[in-house]
Amino acid sequence: MSIVDPTSRAGIAIANSGAAGTAPRRSRAAIWKSALLDRASLIIPCVMLIALLLVYASLRDGVFTLDELNLDTAAAMTLLLAATGQTIVLLRGGIDLSIGGMISLGTVLAATRFGTDPGQAAAWAFGIVAIGGLVGALNGILITVLRLQPFLVTLATWSILSGAAMIILPTDGGALPSGWTMFGVSSWLGLSSSVWILALLLVFWFWFKRTRLGIAIRATGSNERSAFLSGVSPIGINIATYGLSGIFAALAALYLTTQTGAGSPTIGKDYILPSVAAAVIGGISLFGGRGGLVGTMIGAFILTIIGNLVFVLEVSSYWQPIVSGIILLIAVLASSIAEKSARRSLS
Amino acid sequence: MTELLNATAITKRYGGITALSRADFSARAGEVHALLGENGAGKSTFIQILAGAVRPDGGTVTLAGSPYRPRNPQEAQQSGISPVFQELSLVPDLTVEENIWFRREPLSAIRTVRARAMREATLELFARHKFPPIRPDQELRRLTLAERQVIEIAKALSRDPQVLILDEATSALGPQETEWLLGLAKGLAEAGRLVIYISHRLGEVRQIADRITVFRNGATVAAYDTHAVDDETIITDMLGRRMDRLYPERKSTASQTVALGLRGFGVDHRLADIDLDLREGEVLGVAGMQGHGQRELFQALFGIGGSRGTVEVWGKPKTIRGPRQALTGRDGLALVPEDRRNHGLLLSKSVRENLTLSVIQRFTRFGITDPKRESALVDEMIATLKIKTGTPEQLAGTLSGGNQQKVIFGKMLLTEARILLLYDPTRGIDVGTKGEIFQLMRDLAAKGYAILFYSSDLAELVHVADRVAVLRNGRLAAILEGEDNSERQILRAALIETRAA
Repeated sequence: MSIVDPTSRAGIAIANSGAAGTAPRRSRAAIWKSALLDRASLIIPCVMLIALLLVYASLRDGVFTLDELNLDTAAAMTLLLAATGQTIVLLRGGIDLSIGGMISLGTVLAATRFGTDPGQAAAWAFGIVAIGGLVGALNGILITVLRLQPFLVTLATWSILSGAAMIILPTDGGALPSGWTMFGVSSWLGLSSSVWILALLLVFWFWFKRTRLGIAIRATGSNERSAFLSGVSPIGINIATYGLSGIFAALAALYLTTQTGAGSPTIGKDYILPSVAAAVIGGISLFGGRGGLVGTMIGAFILTIIGNLVFVLEVSSYWQPIVSGIILLIAVLASSIAEKSARRSLS
Repeated sequence: MTELLNATAITKRYGGITALSRADFSARAGEVHALLGENGAGKSTFIQILAGAVRPDGGTVTLAGSPYRPRNPQEAQQSGISPVFQELSLVPDLTVEENIWFRREPLSAIRTVRARAMREATLELFARHKFPPIRPDQELRRLTLAERQVIEIAKALSRDPQVLILDEATSALGPQETEWLLGLAKGLAEAGRLVIYISHRLGEVRQIADRITVFRNGATVAAYDTHAVDDETIITDMLGRRMDRLYPERKSTASQTVALGLRGFGVDHRLADIDLDLREGEVLGVAGMQGHGQRELFQALFGIGGSRGTVEVWGKPKTIRGPRQALTGRDGLALVPEDRRNHGLLLSKSVRENLTLSVIQRFTRFGITDPKRESALVDEMIATLKIKTGTPEQLAGTLSGGNQQKVIFGKMLLTEARILLLYDPTRGIDVGTKGEIFQLMRDLAAKGYAILFYSSDLAELVHVADRVAVLRNGRLAAILEGEDNSERQILRAALIETRAA
């Protein structure tokens, strides 16, 4: 208790009468209960993922092996990268639909511009990431300057980017250097490249969320007015938020090409709503301010495992969105019930 | 005498409304300086100017001898002026310590927040100023309103300001935190800082303020040493004299029938033990300084938020669970809300649609509306209230403020409810329309309507209401009628902690 109670450390005598400002001493059970309820939005998806994995394991051998981890992470990684950007935007209290267009554009640029020269490929890879950042920054500027809904602005930029992708490469195709696609299947110390990317993402996140920018994004999503009153720049925060989202969409596009070995002007739209779904299942509030990337990762894996289940059950693949939708509803409902009882136990 | 802060002839206009004209203020380091005035006297505008949130149209401010012109709140804080506003600047999803140090977090070599350093700084701050116990790692949204106010104060103090501005900071606090804050203010003054203290509680002001400046209608009317002045003088200076022309003749039309009876009515800790009878044909005024329970009373009666105690409507016990229940038919209640642009009107809809929105069933048969009946009702209402609109199809948002308010009145009257709850119905309305609204209120009362009427302008209550119920700290401080229904008596009851209910 000494860590959580400032006065017992400092030895200050203010009588604890249970008046408005002072909470009465709580029992150990009550403290545990409130700690659990506070973290419910993360615990619920964890429980769901474990349950899904157990079902999956009962249908198939070798679920809890490194091979399976490598495969599933590779399957989830494009969504995960896209959802990382989406998570940052959702924490800000916005939404980014343009990632669909950016992913399409990224894959067609890679498939048509990389050529065979490694230097040229590397330069274009950086170029694509830069385009992602710029397009995102433009989203942020439009949202702030025109005072438009993020939904509308990014819907428009999604449409524009998709059209641009179509002009560059009207149908699926193109080619990527063999070294590039090799990266998708390469592994180190028994772990596939995707698992290493996952680890990098985690490192990034635990760094980012403790930077001033990370805190400011969460704060702005939580209460815009208060954040601006405290000195957060409205345009700066939007440029940073949507810029990061664009960068992660570009990274998702690049990763996707290592898996498919081709470009596609329409593939991006398959990631727009799932990226939001993964975040929401993982406990991110659409109203901003609450949640983190770990939740989103669990959400992305839940969606991926549902795909695997549908496959091993040999039912129509159309079941996948149905089950995903149900899981989404359960996750949201459970979190909201937990939040309500957390509030009740306080008052 | 060296003055730390000196403001001369500050003016500020918002459109046609003058918020400040010739406001002077002068205070020295090492004192608690109270700033007093009625609601709307310009205190808030003045401290927003000091805080860098609003820029004055004219006048000069000097801080420690040099000109002081902050362009934004950050510059004000860098100059050593920290405000604690009623409207909190905290973020619900950050923890207590993250809120206190927001944008000024101690950073490590890799640009991340040093959590240990931040915790230590928080505990040190809490210890130095003897803060009530609050866990620094708790998320702000889990805190009570009083605790949030305390954290707001902590945030201001964390900058170690030369000038601390406390704007009604005790209104959200319990008695113990209030004692703590008063002690804190005195301590800061003794340490050579300036504390500007704004409060409607004269008792607190007497307890800690060295000097008092009084604002009225945007201008400074008096400044004195606290010990050299009595309460009567302060109240007289706050009120001044006012012209009374726009008020209709008041003839009591109240019957003995109780339209709305409250017994032990309350809303959590903000309103308690209200016993009140509103009679048929009566205009019952409600008075109180900002934040003393008036808003809660009106909202709870209209079914917004929970309440306790018993409510009798036209002699029958009633539980009001939501606006729909409050509205129903001739036995219902109708509200003119505080914020008409957001809560009372649909600005992008026509006058007709606004008028008939809550009463569609009155001209609907078998689920189909009857346009003829509708337009008859609408035309009648536009004529009765003299709403200045081109056609009934004109958009409500294009009307003047006074006419918008008339549309809300019309909407309310169409519900046929005979108990009307009017929350500050004349705020921001031109004088002519004000007069019409007062006349309308008296006419309605004469027809047997029962009207509960809150106004932030005391003169309106005195001249329009038959009786005035005064709230203080969420409790009924007095019910004034006849001779006692005067601005002086209302202020006295609202401010001074005497005369039990």
